Amino acid sequence: MHLRRHNNPDTPTAADWNRWGIDPTWHRMVKVPSGASTVSWSILDTGGSGTAGTIVCVHGNPTWGYIWRDLLCELGDRWRVIAVDQTGMGWSERAGKRLLVQRIDELVAFCAQEVSGPLVLAAHDWGGPVAMGAAAQLDVRAVVLTNTAVAKPEGVRVPPLIALARSAINLTCERTSLFVKGTARMTDRQHRNALEAPYRTAARRSAVADFVADIPVRAGDPSYETLKTVTESFGALEGRGIPVLLLWGGRDPVFHDRFLADLLARAPHADVHRFGDAAHLIALDEPIGPIVGRWLDQQFTSDQVQVPAASMLIADSFTPITTAIIHRRHETTSAYVGPDGTRTWQQLHDNALRIAHRLVTAGVQPGDRIAMLVPPGAQLLEAAFGAWLAGAVIVVADSALGPTGLRHAFRSAEVNYLLGTPRTILAAKALRFAPDASALSLGRLLGAINLHSDQSVHTPVELPTLTNESLAAVVHTSGATGTAKPVRYTHGALAAQRDVVRTAFELDDQHGFVSSFAPFILLGPALGVPCVLPEGDILSPAELDFDTFAEACRRSGADVAWLSPASARTIVRTANGRRMPLRLVMLAGAPIPAQLAEQIREVTAADVRAPYGMTELMPLTDGRGAAAQLPVGTSTGRPLPGATVVITPFGRPDAAALPAGEWGEILANASWMRAGYDRRWGTDSDSTIKRDSLRFHRSGDVGLLDHQGNLIQLGRSQHVITTASGPLPCVVIEQPLADLFGRGVAAVGIGPSGAQVIAVVLEAAGDLRLADIVLTTRVRAGTETAVAAVLEGPLPVDIRHQSKVRRDLLAIEATKLLEGR
Amino acid sequence: MRVLVTGGSSLLGRTVADQLVARGDEVICFQRRPSGSTAIDHLGDITDADAVRRAASSQDAIIHLAALVAPKARWRDMAAINIDGTAHVLTAARDCARLVHISSPSVAFRNSAATGENAEAADYAGPDGYTRSKAIAERLVLDTPAVPTVVIRPHLVWGPGDTQLIGRIVSRARAGRLVLPDHGRALVDTTYVDDAAAAIVAALDSCTPGSDSVGHAWVVTGADPRPLRDLISSILEAAAVEDTPRSIPAPLASLLGSIIERTWPGSEPPLTHFAARQLSVAHWFDQRETQRVLQWSPSIGLDEGFRRLAAWFAANK
Repeated sequence: MHLRRHNNPDTPTAADWNRWGIDPTWHRMVKVPSGASTVSWSILDTGGSGTAGTIVCVHGNPTWGYIWRDLLCELGDRWRVIAVDQTGMGWSERAGKRLLVQRIDELVAFCAQEVSGPLVLAAHDWGGPVAMGAAAQLDVRAVVLTNTAVAKPEGVRVPPLIALARSAINLTCERTSLFVKGTARMTDRQHRNALEAPYRTAARRSAVADFVADIPVRAGDPSYETLKTVTESFGALEGRGIPVLLLWGGRDPVFHDRFLADLLARAPHADVHRFGDAAHLIALDEPIGPIVGRWLDQQFTSDQVQVPAASMLIADSFTPITTAIIHRRHETTSAYVGPDGTRTWQQLHDNALRIAHRLVTAGVQPGDRIAMLVPPGAQLLEAAFGAWLAGAVIVVADSALGPTGLRHAFRSAEVNYLLGTPRTILAAKALRFAPDASALSLGRLLGAINLHSDQSVHTPVELPTLTNESLAAVVHTSGATGTAKPVRYTHGALAAQRDVVRTAFELDDQHGFVSSFAPFILLGPALGVPCVLPEGDILSPAELDFDTFAEACRRSGADVAWLSPASARTIVRTANGRRMPLRLVMLAGAPIPAQLAEQIREVTAADVRAPYGMTELMPLTDGRGAAAQLPVGTSTGRPLPGATVVITPFGRPDAAALPAGEWGEILANASWMRAGYDRRWGTDSDSTIKRDSLRFHRSGDVGLLDHQGNLIQLGRSQHVITTASGPLPCVVIEQPLADLFGRGVAAVGIGPSGAQVIAVVLEAAGDLRLADIVLTTRVRAGTETAVAAVLEGPLPVDIRHQSKVRRDLLAIEATKLLEGR
Repeated sequence: MRVLVTGGSSLLGRTVADQLVARGDEVICFQRRPSGSTAIDHLGDITDADAVRRAASSQDAIIHLAALVAPKARWRDMAAINIDGTAHVLTAARDCARLVHISSPSVAFRNSAATGENAEAADYAGPDGYTRSKAIAERLVLDTPAVPTVVIRPHLVWGPGDTQLIGRIVSRARAGRLVLPDHGRALVDTTYVDDAAAAIVAALDSCTPGSDSVGHAWVVTGADPRPLRDLISSILEAAAVEDTPRSIPAPLASLLGSIIERTWPGSEPPLTHFAARQLSVAHWFDQRETQRVLQWSPSIGLDEGFRRLAAWFAANK
């Protein structure tokens, strides 16, 4: 990693380009008009094959065109992609000091000279002001920005790293390579050599220092006025109809989230994809190529028509989920019974209303985001319904995400308020969940509980009217696989969910339901149906035994139970022949083993259902036939009225739907489906499939519709093994072997996607190892699929979903084992 | 087609010759000893350029299998047979229309696991003489093609009558001297001899100007990788040998290999460092492109192969 490789440190060799993963033929020098003269720019140009248009990429300081490698490589087929090195930067000419306005003029001149046809500008860091300054003078069709700024947001100080660099510009930027090296260290080690190569000597770094010196901080700085025009130019994009994509690294110490907020305020039409884990050099850290490609395709080719979530429009008869508690507000029967106490309908309503009033008084506006830091129970019901009555959006994340996961979740959602108990607020502050949010203590909002003398409930405070389209919640998925995804729900969708649950499962106002699944109690007040949490630790459903469960049912008169697989198992195990008759038992968290459904049916004599669904669309099926033993897969019943399920070939969600009996990806649509993912444009576009003028959610599961219309679930898409002879859901191998051997079985793919071979792991204690040859032979004989290796060992299980085997981890372990050493 | 097969006395060479004869090609086998195949023998030494040219005269195609495989041969012999011999074949092939050169997957061995790889560059330059010479020969063939040329790298070929792989394993197991590195857990591709021969015949048929296969090396396997332990068990079961090989740690196996190959008096040490390394790490391949380009896929497979092997052992007790 030293100079020695270069005979001439001003020009990389073909070997350098190859080592940096860049096609050497992309590199050339061009003369760019600069004032009265010209300056020689180094550019990386994928050439004229791009039919869609040209993307000109502008780096920041102290980097160079290399940072756009992913875009050059990924989009070079459809687009001509040009990454320029600005004057004095990268491999361009060292031509003396440049002010922002000169850099803008040079970029404009370059684009005018080199680009014909549609132009897209992409920029990073301080390339952003240069590109957005140029955008005012060019016919730009779209803009892609990554961690940048066009203005210093109100109340934000100069980023500390920049301030540090400025305070000793000469030392940090020019005489030493501190700034260059510090920046290169913000990304993966593999990029360091390329990032540092153009800036090896002090003479080659002078522009780095000049760039920092030119950052306008106060009126009177040379580029202060120019930056103001840049800010205006960026603000004008929306009016000019120019779409903007913001790709944002959430852990950038320089351009942090307040800069994102500033950009969004100036370009409210922008699409955002925020990578919670990425830092400053996001174009190198994240695979942005495919996202930018899809986004541009959509801007340039699609009809831009907003597709409704469902054909069945619900706007006309919209009844918000807050309606039921208002209807029942005078009733003194129980609305909630739990280990933390009980609430009558009247108490629940009054407390929620009081919270709503106080939230509004505290300044909460409709659409403001409130992080729910309230433990499940009566307080959660009051806080959530209070927030909804106030028109706020609740932001919910499972505490199982852990401190880091929660911090990501709340920062990504940019919550305005934290609502919790003094303890949870203290923890949230200590862990810096949302440094900019105001904390609201639930206890203080409720004040001393003396309902009838409290004027605030009766003093008229204007509460907003909720509409179908109002955002109601941002719910983070459990994050069992990959990072948690923030799912946006509108009030329309929540109302539709309430209605479909009521109809499909025939819930009535008098009998309640018992839930071992804490978040489900939110359905109770929405439905106007009493809900019960059994005694014990709410967060440990596996500890719910038969006695506690039966007591909860008896005490509340509930005739319906909503159980997680873990609690269902414990109830079955501890029943000892006793029974607790119920009308309906719902097992949540498919796939539910048919055997467990049958056992729960014996204990409760109930209609046992295992409806299928996901955070994004719950429930999707009626869950009938849960106890039917299938040779392969789990029956989840038929899609609920109003829901549409389509099966498409694996990996091709746009392809024509498959007929009954053929397996593929499960796509679903319903009016109670998520609105989208919050600030995850890429995730959203990847999992939202437009078909037949409907918006479908790509479930991430595979399965089939049988000839009776039942949806048979065959596991997760990521557990599909892609062999050379085609993809195969792992359950196809696992289930017959599990039945044959009466042991836990997991099948995982070894090797590269599309050429995988299969390893079968039988559950056993001890380290993962080859099974003995006798067992190996029996397994090979017991399945029709070619099995490369038979192993024995423990199956890693997700602690949050005790039934889910972490096949991704197992595949890594098995691959390592079978690689030898 | 008139086809010259060099190295017809090896199991694979003989099987290739037999398959070609069976489908009606006119086949000459060129080697020092009678091939035992159904083809006509033309005896001669591959290091003799004139002899090679004479054998190849008026042939339509050459399949070049002749090679020195002995693990402890002198480099001079390795180079003479594997490199110079190939150069002679290249010269002789100028009068033919096609050349199929048989190489070895080990020419791309990088001392690390290969899982689902394609044919990587033949850049082996390590201490193993056989592999180094085969790598040079393959580069020679692909860099200076005389006629349309396809290179096939069959992976661990075995079958009834095989003295190389099967013979050594069985004799060592009978002597109680068979050991497995790390319980034989590395996933390894192998090829039943009839399938490997069919792939070579398919390569010959595909070897026409402009074909996708021409000018490239293709790894050929049974596309059914298994842990080394499973393969050894199946072979020993077929040979009716009752032996459970002991396991030794892989690094120890490599170390033993280096010591044994340096000190072993004969030409066939029971273990070499290279063999120990190769058997300690996974090497199996993505066969999709090979099968598409050659329009071939294994028709016998491992399990039927082991049945045939058992029948052969039973008949040749």
